[in-house]
Amino acid sequence: MIEAYNINKRFGNLHVLKNVSLTVKPGEVVVIIGPSGSGKSTFLRCLNYLEPIDDGYITVEGRPVGKRKLPDGRLVDDKRKNIYRLRSTIGMVFQQFNLFPHQTALENVMEGPVTVYKTPVQEARKKAMDMLEKVGLADKAGAYPAQLSGGQKQRVAIARALAMEPKAMLFDEPTSALDPELVGGVLAVIKDLAREGMTMVVVSHEMGFAREVADRVVFMDNGSIVEESTPQRIFSNPEHPRTREFLSKILA
Amino acid sequence: MNLGPIDIDFLLQILPLLLKGAVLTVELTLLAIFFGTVIGLFVALAKISRFKILVTIGGIYTWAIRGIPLLVQLYILYYGLPQIGIELSAPAAAVVGLSVCGGAYIAEIIRAGIQSIDKGQMEAALSLGMSYAQAFRRVILPQAYRRLLPPMGNEFITLMKDSSLVSVICMTELLRQGKLLSNSTFRPMEIYLTVAAIYLFLTTIFIYLIGRLEKRLAISDGD
Repeated sequence: MIEAYNINKRFGNLHVLKNVSLTVKPGEVVVIIGPSGSGKSTFLRCLNYLEPIDDGYITVEGRPVGKRKLPDGRLVDDKRKNIYRLRSTIGMVFQQFNLFPHQTALENVMEGPVTVYKTPVQEARKKAMDMLEKVGLADKAGAYPAQLSGGQKQRVAIARALAMEPKAMLFDEPTSALDPELVGGVLAVIKDLAREGMTMVVVSHEMGFAREVADRVVFMDNGSIVEESTPQRIFSNPEHPRTREFLSKILA
Repeated sequence: MNLGPIDIDFLLQILPLLLKGAVLTVELTLLAIFFGTVIGLFVALAKISRFKILVTIGGIYTWAIRGIPLLVQLYILYYGLPQIGIELSAPAAAVVGLSVCGGAYIAEIIRAGIQSIDKGQMEAALSLGMSYAQAFRRVILPQAYRRLLPPMGNEFITLMKDSSLVSVICMTELLRQGKLLSNSTFRPMEIYLTVAAIYLFLTTIFIYLIGRLEKRLAISDGD
């Protein structure tokens, strides 16, 4: 579904991603953990080309992301249109929600289909209502983001991404900006998606969630993938000392 | 009838002429606001674009225009350009001068307004598959409007007051009308006080209209 080979990314002199490779199978849930500054969010953002990569190769459903193969095998920057199309098929949910504050919850969810897919407004509205219902917020359709709690905002943001009928979802620390009592509601929605078979890559600090939902847990540190394994193995018996150190700090 | 040193009858006599000048002042201001905003929007987009050359051109434009007094710009437009074969009529020079000058300030206002929108908004729009243009139109600009209004209102009022400068290139707007009257009647006190009152009246209307617009946008923003 998603494949990344030897991704390298620099911000100036800072080498934030070093030869990162990861394969995500259809329906798989991969949770990326690691200390802040380890490059996990940057890696996630590379997957839908919000961050261009310096070196390496990403494909989604076999199609290269951001780059196009010429007949002679060289890779060149892809047409913008193709990048836009790719992004419409991968949903992304942000730590800071990034809802559009000038639109109601319903309008937020309608925005993508109407603007990008040119879905007729009536149809988009119906679909958006279904999505809001799915995340348990049908009664908040007319509310503006400023009138919603953090957890509600994030659930609307998930509905907004789902309205595009994505083939995969990327979650960038979806619960890190939430008050503790609101985390559960958002995680429940993500768990539902996992149960429905949605392919997902989740950057998270919620170890309980990772243990419960992840098919695979990836530990990143200092721009590299240090260890990847099943949640059972990584939480009970991590191989790498750095993984052990990180987990002992975070689970303490 | 007298009010202190001011002769009311005389004042009523000159008022129609001054109002005629005021009409020209309003026309010039509205044209300058319109063209200035169009110029400003394009220059602002140029300055935040990915293209180095556009960024540079936009930068030079705002730097030069904001750094040279409007009065000097008007002299160059009206008295300087004919020397190299470009003759602008007084109204044309006035509108061009005011629009180009206003455009530079408006460009900076719009640029700052757009850049004040959280980066996450653009990312969220892009992540839905929108193009940059769509993200701008649907997400960034609607949010920027409201933040733009107060400084834009200021700029519009400044443009109205600055329009008095075109009196030096033979445009008989409000100030020059007053000056002509003053020259022929030797009653500068009545005349310039009236001119001042008319300017104040016009700017007050502007402030009122912009205030109402702000309120309406605040409501449609839902907070």
